[in-house]
Parts: sequence; C-alpha cells; structure tokens
Amino acid sequence: MSTTAVTEVRPRPARRWAGDKRGIWVRWSLRAGLAAGAVFMLTPFLLMALAAVTPDRRLKPGSVSLSGFTLDNFRQAWHDVDWPALYLHTVVVVIVVFAAQVLTSLPAGYALARLRFRNRRLSFWTVMLCLAIPPQVTGIPVFYALSKVNLLDSYTALVLPSVGSAFGIFLFRQFVLSLPQSVFDAARLDRVGPVAMVWRIVLPNVRPALAAFAVFTVVGHWNDLYWPSMLLRSDQVATVPYGIARYAAPESLSTYGTQMAAATLATLPLLIFFLLVQRQLVRGIALTNGGE
Amino acid sequence: MTAALLGPAFVFLVAFVVLPVLAVGALALLNFDPLSQETSFAGLENWHRVLASPELWQATGNTLLYTALTVPVEVGGGLLIALAIRAAGRGAGLWRTAYFAPTAATLAAMSVVWRWLFYPHVGVFDETLGRLVGQDGWLSSTTLALPAVAIVGSWAGIGSCVVMFLAGLSNVPAHLEDAARMDRAGAWHRFWSVTWPAIGPATTFALVITTRDSLRVYDQVRVMTDGGPQQSTSTLSFTAWQRGVSYLDIGGGSVVNTVLLVLVLITVAVQLRLGGRRWEEDGRR
Repeated sequence: MSTTAVTEVRPRPARRWAGDKRGIWVRWSLRAGLAAGAVFMLTPFLLMALAAVTPDRRLKPGSVSLSGFTLDNFRQAWHDVDWPALYLHTVVVVIVVFAAQVLTSLPAGYALARLRFRNRRLSFWTVMLCLAIPPQVTGIPVFYALSKVNLLDSYTALVLPSVGSAFGIFLFRQFVLSLPQSVFDAARLDRVGPVAMVWRIVLPNVRPALAAFAVFTVVGHWNDLYWPSMLLRSDQVATVPYGIARYAAPESLSTYGTQMAAATLATLPLLIFFLLVQRQLVRGIALTNGGE
Repeated sequence: MTAALLGPAFVFLVAFVVLPVLAVGALALLNFDPLSQETSFAGLENWHRVLASPELWQATGNTLLYTALTVPVEVGGGLLIALAIRAAGRGAGLWRTAYFAPTAATLAAMSVVWRWLFYPHVGVFDETLGRLVGQDGWLSSTTLALPAVAIVGSWAGIGSCVVMFLAGLSNVPAHLEDAARMDRAGAWHRFWSVTWPAIGPATTFALVITTRDSLRVYDQVRVMTDGGPQQSTSTLSFTAWQRGVSYLDIGGGSVVNTVLLVLVLITVAVQLRLGGRRWEEDGRR
C-alpha cells in the first residue's frame, strides 16, 4: 500500500513530450544527431591513439589501417623529449598561478560583491574590460618589460602575467553575491575584520567556486601555448604545449607515429584530469551567468 | 580597508593588462633591439613600414574571416546542441563529456593530429568530409587553409559554448515552461517566449568569450599551417608573434598588436552595449 502511495505523490520529472509517440520519435532522432556530432568530436582522439600504436612503416599519411601493434612510437617520443621536465614545469606553473590567483582574486571578488566604496562601478568595469582583453594584445609589451629586467626563460616570466585574473574576480564575485547576507551579518556582529572575513568566513563558503576555478585555471594554463612561445627562448622551463609545438614543427625530423605518440602524451594527463573533475567545471560555468 | 582587499589584484591587472594595453601604442613608436637591449625613438616609421606591407591587411582580413566562420558555428551550434541534449532526456552527462573533451585537450597537441588528418588527398579528412563537400588538399590551398583552421577552432571551442548554454538552460523557470505547454504553445513559440529570455545572460557571456577567443586565434595557426600557404592563414596574433619574436621587430609587432587591440575593443564595446547590463545585475537574489 505504502509504495503505491509514494509513487503517486512523487512529482513527475518535467520532460518534454513525455509519453506520447511523437515525443519518443523526436527524442531518438535528437539522440542520433547528437551521436553523429559526438563521432566528429571524438574521432581525432581515436585516430591519434590508433596511429600512436601502429608500427611506423605501416602508417600511411593521414590515415590508419588496423595492422600491427607497437609501443615503439611511445618509446621514441619519450626518448626524444624530456617529458618528466615538461610535466614538472607545467605542473609548477599551473599550481603557482592558481595559488596566486586565489590569493588576489578572492578578496577582490568579495569586495566587489559585498562592500560599498567609492569607484565601485569603475572597479567592476575595469575587471570586465580586462576579462575581454586577450593576452595576445599585451604579449609584446610584457615581453619587452620582462626582457628589460632579464626575466625571460624563467618560472617568474610564465607566472607573473597570469597572476591578476579578471575571470577569477568575476567568478568569485558572482558566487559571493549568491551567498545569504546572514553569513556576513553574523560575522560582523562577532567583530570579524574584512581580511579575516575573506579567509575565515568567505573561503569556507566558496569551496564549489574554488573547485570550479581550479579546473578553469588548470585547463587554461596547462594548454597555453601563447605565453611560453612569447616568453621562452630555450627548454629551461619549457611547458607541455611549448614542447609539443617544437617537437612536431615542420622542420623537425619526428615521424607521424612518434608525433601522434607525443600528442597522446601531451593530451592524456589533462583529459584524465578533466574526466575526474568535470562536474566542478560545469558548476563553475553555471556561476558565470548567475545560475546555480 | 577595501584597498587591502582590492589592491593586490588590481596591482597585477594594471601592471600586466592595463599598462601593457596603453603601452602597445607607445611601443609602436620605438625601435627596440632585444639583443643589444637598446631602445631608440622611431616616430611613425614602424607604422609606415607595416601599414605599407600587405601583411597587416591580410592578417586583419584573415582574423575577421576566421571570427566570422567560427563564432556563429560555436555559439549557434553550441545552443542547438545544448537544446538537443536537454530534450533528449537521459544521458546528458555523457553527451556533455563527449562535446567538451576537445576543449579540455591541449590544442597545440591536437593541432598536430589535425594537421596529419588533413594530409592532402589520402588523409582521413579528404577521404570523408572533404569528399562530401568535393574539396581536397585543404592545408595546401590558399583559399581552404583558413576554413580548415576554422574547423579545428570550432571543434575545440564549441564544447565550452555547449556547457555555458546547458548552465543557462538550467535557469529556465520550469513553471513557465509547463504553463506554455499547457497553453499548447508550439515548440518555436515556447522557445522565443520562455527559453530565449531566460538564457540571455548565458548568450551574452558565450558571445563575448567566443569572440575574444576567435579574435586571438594562435595555437592551430602556429602548429597546423605556420601562417601559410602564402600568408593565407596568418592572423593578427600570429603575425604579431612572428614579427616580435621570430624577426625581433618589436616596433612592427606592436603596430600589429595595436590593430588587434582596436578590433577587440570595438567588438567588446558593441557587445556590452547590446547585452552588458544583464551581466552586472546577475546573480543578485
């Protein structure tokens, strides 16, 4: 008896055309369309992986025939490029950039969301303008300045230009806006100062935004080819995209098989990372347009 | 006390975004030799030199064409895919993963793969989609190389639009949708009167971010075509990098950067004029 009662009162999920025949037909044709698109999206990964394990003499230019299996391409690519160094440099840059961005963006995001001060609108629109300006516009002046102070080819060069994050400020502002005012009122009654407010009250409350921001920063800076191309002259602190672009440059002697193996080695860590944390990412994007 | 909170972030934003933006125009008036570290005043010489060469105009045209090819595909396609994922019922997470994976993958590395797939005549692309549209040898053609680069750019970028629109669609008020369905409003009418207004902020955000990312295209150009054949794919950010870093022509590179900056500012101004207010107010409950 009780089970039927439960099923009766449970609200039906609002699904389009639920139940009627036309709805089923529409849904399946949508699925077929989505599947066709997904094939296009995923085929490059599949062909990359297949080519990477195909013996080089069997590999035709631009396509794969399923014949033979070898790890020689991976051995060769691993031998040609100092992968542990590339991974290490990239991980260091990504972690330092993320930490520095949180240290600067979280207080700024909180201030823009909750404090009233002079030039508040001006500050907000400065951030929005910075958000719209791509690094490709500022690349040459930054290169000029850093070469003047002899900082090219260093971790400092790779980190400094990315510390101020308009995106981080915007994301944290949106999230702090969505927190209930009572959180802040209670803390203010306890005489918590503004700086302590950020790190003791806001920080524990913005964990979802923090996780989302971490995903953005890691994906963005792991994949970045532009800043390394601009600011590096040698392999001293070469990152993964910089290394792969050099390894697969038209003038290099790497074969297709080893290039595909190298592309796999470059892409895999981040794809795995993405599969593990994609929930956070979706959440973060939801924040940017005020959802949740 | 506000200064202590805002200060650090603004110091870095001003030092590495605002000042460089202002400095681009000034650097274009200087001659700087990165090897000897010597700077001298050049006046308008860099401008004359770069404006006189066809390179700048070709790069501007290529950048605009690339943007015109990718933004509608990414934003329009992203919206359609997000609507389809929502309407298809179960499996949303799976679709999202499939469409977003290219965005998470290192574009520099995947461009190596795409360059290989675009191998003239015998490559997978020419054998399948190329045959479908009756064109081959894309990367060696001066007219098809840029569309090829745009295909890869859209492949890499559409995923973030899908995710942004999925997030926006989750804001559509369910009671309004149900009410519209009760009134037997058609799918088209429901979309325009209920869904479209609700995803306004998501659309603005997707449009601004996608346009910014298209105007700055660099990775695929660098890896797939190196600007060629015959400069047919060299974009503004690629040309600026090539001038500044490969040819050590900082003044000339700054001229190219200034043009890119102007282009970015114009598009942002237009977009914010059209949909900016919703951004600032968003998220307030």
